[in-house]
Amino acid sequence: MAATRRLQKELHDLRKSEFRFFQDIKVDDTNILNWQGLIVPDRPPYNKGAFKIEINFPAEYPFKPPKVTFKTKIYHPNIDEKGQVCLPIISTENWKPATKTDQVLQSLVALVNDPEPEHPLRGDLAEEYTKDRKKFMKNAEDFTKKFGEKRPSD
Amino acid sequence: MSGQMSQESDNEYSDDHIEDDEDEYDNYYYDNNDDLDLDKPKKSDDPEYFEFDLLKVEDVERLLNEEVEALCTSLKITPSLAKMLLHAHGWQRSLIIERHQRDPEKFLVDSRIVADKKNISQDNIMGLTHTCPICVQQLSKDEFQALSCQHLFCNECWDMHFNIQINQGLTTGIECMGKDCKLLVPEDFICGILKDTSMREKYFKFSFTDLIKSHSQLRFCPGPNCSIVVQAKEPKAKRVECNMCKSTFCFRCGIDYHAPTDCDTIKKWLMKCADDSETANYISANTKDCPKCHVCIEKNGGCNHMQCSKCKSDFCWMCLGEWKTHGSEYYECSRFKENPNIANESVHVQAREALKKYLFYYERWENHAKSLTLEEQTFKNISTRIQEKVMNNEGTWIAWQYLLKAADLLKKCRYSLQYTYPYAYYLDRGGRKELFEYQQAQLEAEVENLSWKVERAEISDTGELENLMDIAEKRRLTLLKDFLEV
Repeated sequence: MAATRRLQKELHDLRKSEFRFFQDIKVDDTNILNWQGLIVPDRPPYNKGAFKIEINFPAEYPFKPPKVTFKTKIYHPNIDEKGQVCLPIISTENWKPATKTDQVLQSLVALVNDPEPEHPLRGDLAEEYTKDRKKFMKNAEDFTKKFGEKRPSD
Repeated sequence: MSGQMSQESDNEYSDDHIEDDEDEYDNYYYDNNDDLDLDKPKKSDDPEYFEFDLLKVEDVERLLNEEVEALCTSLKITPSLAKMLLHAHGWQRSLIIERHQRDPEKFLVDSRIVADKKNISQDNIMGLTHTCPICVQQLSKDEFQALSCQHLFCNECWDMHFNIQINQGLTTGIECMGKDCKLLVPEDFICGILKDTSMREKYFKFSFTDLIKSHSQLRFCPGPNCSIVVQAKEPKAKRVECNMCKSTFCFRCGIDYHAPTDCDTIKKWLMKCADDSETANYISANTKDCPKCHVCIEKNGGCNHMQCSKCKSDFCWMCLGEWKTHGSEYYECSRFKENPNIANESVHVQAREALKKYLFYYERWENHAKSLTLEEQTFKNISTRIQEKVMNNEGTWIAWQYLLKAADLLKKCRYSLQYTYPYAYYLDRGGRKELFEYQQAQLEAEVENLSWKVERAEISDTGELENLMDIAEKRRLTLLKDFLEV
């Protein structure tokens, strides 16, 4: 099966590369289509915690894109209360079979560090982000401290 | 022109004509009653005149193939590439040839057919084998193919990619699998790789639809399960009727014909109506009280000139005003009176005024739509009435046919009238709007006159009714001539 072979290779490469921003990768031995891991942002207001995410790969992977969901609550204009995130690189229209998971993760971390209020999933937060950045930073930091996961020691 | 079906179908007087009486009159734009419309406007003064052909799938295939071949010969390229260029540039052959002559390389790069030099992959096969970046299998180098971008993938992965894309409905838009590579995959490349013949058939079926959609002179008939394609030399917002499924629609946008309103405005209006349907719901009730004796009246015909069966007062269903004023120059029921000081009012008042304005137009739009359905009932009533009259020796069946023709014309006029309301809603205040509303009021008055008469006409009224029909149709054409922009 193409998906298994490819995911095994990607997982191997990802673990070897030791990305600072994506750690603690957990993959169920019986189901390689489901990954979990910890997003560790390095920019405020999210650098006070870490965020658990889940990556679900379809059986047709890599011909169809994976889905990414946040398992930890986050105060972010592009991530909704259910943990859904709008990431262009993994949308059906833009997806390319040659795109690798580490590229998806890089794009995800870039979005977490730099919100894009122009196409928000949470309009209220996008408005706060553009109109009152100070207030947004304060709220997001408080939220991260309250709900965020413990950051792995460097 | 062989094989093309004429829009002037001659089945009007076919054998099933008698049994199909009702169906026949479903169509209020009936083209073939020339015997009646002696003074029907000539092509040049009919604002709704439109030349089009109805094509069958085979005719369209032949037409498209001819265009592809013509481009192949001019540019000395393969049919597969010609198809891609035609699809990408709306089948404008002269424009394609001109741009190709100016700078062939840049043109092919811009059309996503040839890779830009700076995007070409350096990932060459060195040895006898190579690892496919998609399935990470090491395979013999003969198993690999790439487009001009040199993104190498194994045949099995290409095949899988095409299968999944085609199943998602994509054909002409299938791209290379390389990350950030926007290069389109040509038809011959896809067919060279697809193993499954049923998949290949599916590809051709979907791409045919895609090609037609990209062609400005062609449009699929929107009728359910209808495979007819309409061809018009000039893609205008004019009325088209399919002679297979009898659907009528606007050639430019494919939805219900909407003159004098244009395609963008009618889309905006229909969306607004869908959004505001809750607000508008309360007005969709079918009953109103008589303004004089307050008895509850149900509207059971298309005519808006109401007569209370109890107190016999005449009034207008729309505005509940006295009917007397509607027949004259003072007909103002169709005109929305805007508050002249609106700019100085509070936001709250402005919002209310905006809603009032919308509801004013919506109510009239909806009312005419409803009247149109009620005219169906009128048809049945007329047919029964004719039967009775003929039985009682009041005129012959033939002599009574004028009444059905009148009802037919009435529908056509009411249809246009219905579509004047979205137009008026979006029209800016000023002289043009005043002129429009004046003509709209004139048409509305005539439509209601005709409607009233049609429901009550006797055999001796032929002359009067024909006169009314003539006036109503002239008013309709005048309005369309002045305001229909295509």
